Amino acid sequence: MSTVELRGPSAPATPAAPGLKRARRAENRIGYAFLAPWLIGFFVLTAGPMLASLYLAFTDYNLFRAPEWVGLENFTRLLDDPRYLQSVKVTLVYVLIGTPVKLAAALAVALLLNSGMRGQGFYRSAFYAPSLIGASVSIAIVWKAMFSDAGIVDVVLTGLGGQPGGWVGDPDKTMPMMILLATWQFGAPMVIFLAGLKQVPKELHEAAAVDGAGALRRFWNITVPMLSPVIFFNLLLETINAFQVFASAYVISGGQGGPAGSTLFYTLYLYLRGFQDSRMGYASAMAWVLALVIGLITAVMFRTSNAWVHYSGESK
Amino acid sequence: MSTATSTTTAAALSDPAPVSRKARRQQGALTRSVVLHVLSIAVLVVALYPAVWMLVSSLKPTNEIVGDPSLLPSSAGLDNFRTALAGIGGVSFWTFTWNSLLLAVLSVVGTVLSSSVTAYAFARIDFAGRRVWFALMIGTLLLPFHVLIIPQYIVFQKLGLVDTFVPLLIGKFLAAEAFFVFLMVQFMRNVPRELDEAARIDGCGHARTFGSIMLPLLRPAIITSSIFAFIWSWNDFLGPLLYLNSPEKYPLPLALRLFVDQTSVSDYGAQIAMSVLALLPVMLFFLVFQRFLVDGVATQGLKG
Amino acid sequence: MKNRPVLTIAATLCAGVLGLTACGGGDAGGEAAAEGPVTLDYTWWGSQDRADRMTKAIAAFEAAHPDIKINPNFTDYDGYWQKRATEVAGGGLPDVMQFDISYLRQYADRGALLDLEEVADTLDTSGIAETLMPSGQIDEATYGVPISTNALGLFYNPAIVEQAGVAAPTGDMTWDQFDAWIAEVSAKAPEGVFGSGDYTGTFWLFDMHLRQQGKQAITEDGQVGFTKAELKQWWESTAELRANGSLVSAERTTQLLPKSPFGAGESATEFSWDNFLAGYLTDSGAAKLEIVAPPSDGDEKGLFQKASMVYSIGAGTEDPEAAAEFVDFMVNDPEVGQIFGTSRGIPASKTQRDGTTFEGADAQIVAYEESIAGELGESPAPLAIGFGTAESAFKRITEDINYGRTSVDDAVEEWFAEAESALQQ
Repeated sequence: MSTVELRGPSAPATPAAPGLKRARRAENRIGYAFLAPWLIGFFVLTAGPMLASLYLAFTDYNLFRAPEWVGLENFTRLLDDPRYLQSVKVTLVYVLIGTPVKLAAALAVALLLNSGMRGQGFYRSAFYAPSLIGASVSIAIVWKAMFSDAGIVDVVLTGLGGQPGGWVGDPDKTMPMMILLATWQFGAPMVIFLAGLKQVPKELHEAAAVDGAGALRRFWNITVPMLSPVIFFNLLLETINAFQVFASAYVISGGQGGPAGSTLFYTLYLYLRGFQDSRMGYASAMAWVLALVIGLITAVMFRTSNAWVHYSGESK
Repeated sequence: MSTATSTTTAAALSDPAPVSRKARRQQGALTRSVVLHVLSIAVLVVALYPAVWMLVSSLKPTNEIVGDPSLLPSSAGLDNFRTALAGIGGVSFWTFTWNSLLLAVLSVVGTVLSSSVTAYAFARIDFAGRRVWFALMIGTLLLPFHVLIIPQYIVFQKLGLVDTFVPLLIGKFLAAEAFFVFLMVQFMRNVPRELDEAARIDGCGHARTFGSIMLPLLRPAIITSSIFAFIWSWNDFLGPLLYLNSPEKYPLPLALRLFVDQTSVSDYGAQIAMSVLALLPVMLFFLVFQRFLVDGVATQGLKG
Repeated sequence: MKNRPVLTIAATLCAGVLGLTACGGGDAGGEAAAEGPVTLDYTWWGSQDRADRMTKAIAAFEAAHPDIKINPNFTDYDGYWQKRATEVAGGGLPDVMQFDISYLRQYADRGALLDLEEVADTLDTSGIAETLMPSGQIDEATYGVPISTNALGLFYNPAIVEQAGVAAPTGDMTWDQFDAWIAEVSAKAPEGVFGSGDYTGTFWLFDMHLRQQGKQAITEDGQVGFTKAELKQWWESTAELRANGSLVSAERTTQLLPKSPFGAGESATEFSWDNFLAGYLTDSGAAKLEIVAPPSDGDEKGLFQKASMVYSIGAGTEDPEAAAEFVDFMVNDPEVGQIFGTSRGIPASKTQRDGTTFEGADAQIVAYEESIAGELGESPAPLAIGFGTAESAFKRITEDINYGRTSVDDAVEEWFAEAESALQQ
């Protein structure tokens, strides 16, 4: 319907059959021209360092002496390292609980902001503020004050009949605190959801409403499919980010993963091994194990995405 | 679309008591609005309490900040801001701010340009090897960056680019951050193909289709990317730490850390005050840019 | 034809990148040496306070040596070592660096530091005590010149002590007396204020405790210098205080970070390096804090002066003489001493110390070090590789004990395993 109007008076430029091969070559050429900046960046900035770290994973390298080949030793040692196993446990809990909670919060708030109420601009900015503050070094002081003895969380929870006491110093409560910190910074996925919601044509909703579809059904039948590429993006990226969480763990725990190892996230331990203990070979092995695990999860996600991610621009 | 409109009219006409239904609908809208605002305000309180605490704390005497979680200060003053604005080691606060701003703006430009071009190749051009490159691009997301720091540093050192802004920006101009490329790919794939195919049939090459059809349709994604690119650059600590040597090239995050030093005297008040000051430009950037998120251009394209 | 816009895009990107190179390419360190004055890259860690003082000291040096220009660089402590580690792996360090004796050995082993004997003619170390010089020496070579010294002390907050109505701690208590004193303060002080935190987590304090018995925590050749039984005894010495709640709890200590319980005014005492006085005063807002010598069960106090920081010169410097000139000035010049006071510790060089008038907190630290001058043992040499890892494991494992996550016996095994693995490197 719409394409008709866009199609101008000029003759259609469908290539004739003999030109097909030439057209393919042209498509290749222009494809690589568009890809050129990324290709340069990939080879100069990323691929080399990645291969270097892969090599280092099989060496004993302490930054000060030349790397020494040790085969699989770094990898086998991982299994005997109680702190490594602790970091795996901490990270898995964080990924499995934190990611869905954060995404649900971000989607809920994005829907709220997309509901067409007044003052949206104000709310949108205010809701993004946590993400800005969360990236500042001062977040360590601010967040701990919220969760200390007599901090706001303690006051509210005690008021509601909960047990008094701050969460910061309690190894059993630091994980919920870290998950709340991540959830509180729902701004980034929220903005992406919002941008995705803007791609959903209003007409579809209007038409469905007229046909008698309730809000819930419209959400399920129109919003979710139209939003699925963005949901997929957020799910994948937030999962990867949760696996690699570093900055917040570093500043909140003062860089050591305490108390009692309860915030010893994978990449934090990797950093401590690599830079504090100068065991870069060991850290590289850790990095590649993590990369393989995330890679596997990513591959599964891409595979299954065919079933539920719907692209308007692509026929199935 | 015309059928949809006529259905509405027909429904309205067949309604036996259109007035009362309208009133009911208005009342429903009012309830809905109240509920939405109550929800929003609830989120607002949770979202902003820490921000308010931070702002108030920046006025507290510096020794009362850590260890005292109460919101109200015993006394308030602007001393912390005076210290924060005094600069560090002869470099003024404004120099740090200017450097941050320059880096952030160039990051936005570089990221948007390079990521959209790259994303177009992945989303719309059918060239040989596309799937392999795409997988590799996603692959760059997987490895924790800490193990790449040293090899990357060596590359830039060999090129003689340490203590310049180049190492901090070149990646942005070369679409090295897969996050942005992938984000734009997802949005492009959701743009109806009829739109650009029509242009292609009209004889537009990929370059023109990209520039005049795809880019305008991609506005929500571009705005989103700009916001993130700006904020991430604004807060980046590690890159500037490793690659910049001259204090007059330092951005704000490096300066901020200098107020807290476990080996000598720490000034938490000045750090919070400077954090507050450092937040203002990003807040402003977000305030301005989020406006562009309001009208999705993509929907207009669909109407035809 | 179709390719042209693409080329334009590519060209724009390249131009952007090249433009950046042009605008980013400022002064490039010591490479301009041939044309004008020598430029030295000089780096240190520290707060904005140190940066301000350093700027004054550099200006004084440049005024006295117009032919040498100093290119300053500064970061916070954690960032500082990450940056150095990256630089050294990449093969380039600044000309002059502030160094910590816990890192000296790794860098010297790699050959990244200049042996300062080579510039001994320019760099005068005669003002520095003979007993202190080994702090920067490894196998006959000198890699670091002590800038300043500090010593361990027992800090106490007189306001809290008075409020609790107990006698102030003295410099000649035994460990048992001190522990009893802690219990008394915790019992009598207002709720939420204690006599002390669990001091057994401070590795240097344990080292001092061992020195009181003629031993050392980690020997120079990188061996653990004590038995498992000794460590067990040390950690169990505060078990009773822990059990009856006389110490600041682990939970509260974590909540207060980055301040210590003493800095936050919730503990009457804390063991630390004497030059932390200024930091404690700022953190707590207290009008006055006192320092006395730590407890000891015998005549031997186990105290020592430690080089709180040293200067080192990068092995790759293009002008070792100019670098030595600068270090000489920073270490010996009285004006520099006056600028820094005791903010880095007490000046190591006699000329600098004599040329400085100490006031307020500075004078207090100097008085404390004078009071223990007769008790000082040997200064520690550059710390064994792996010392830092062993030290932070010690702190972490003590914390685990306090959280009740591990028994003292398991803790001892855990620390020995980690320390031995770290020290073998």
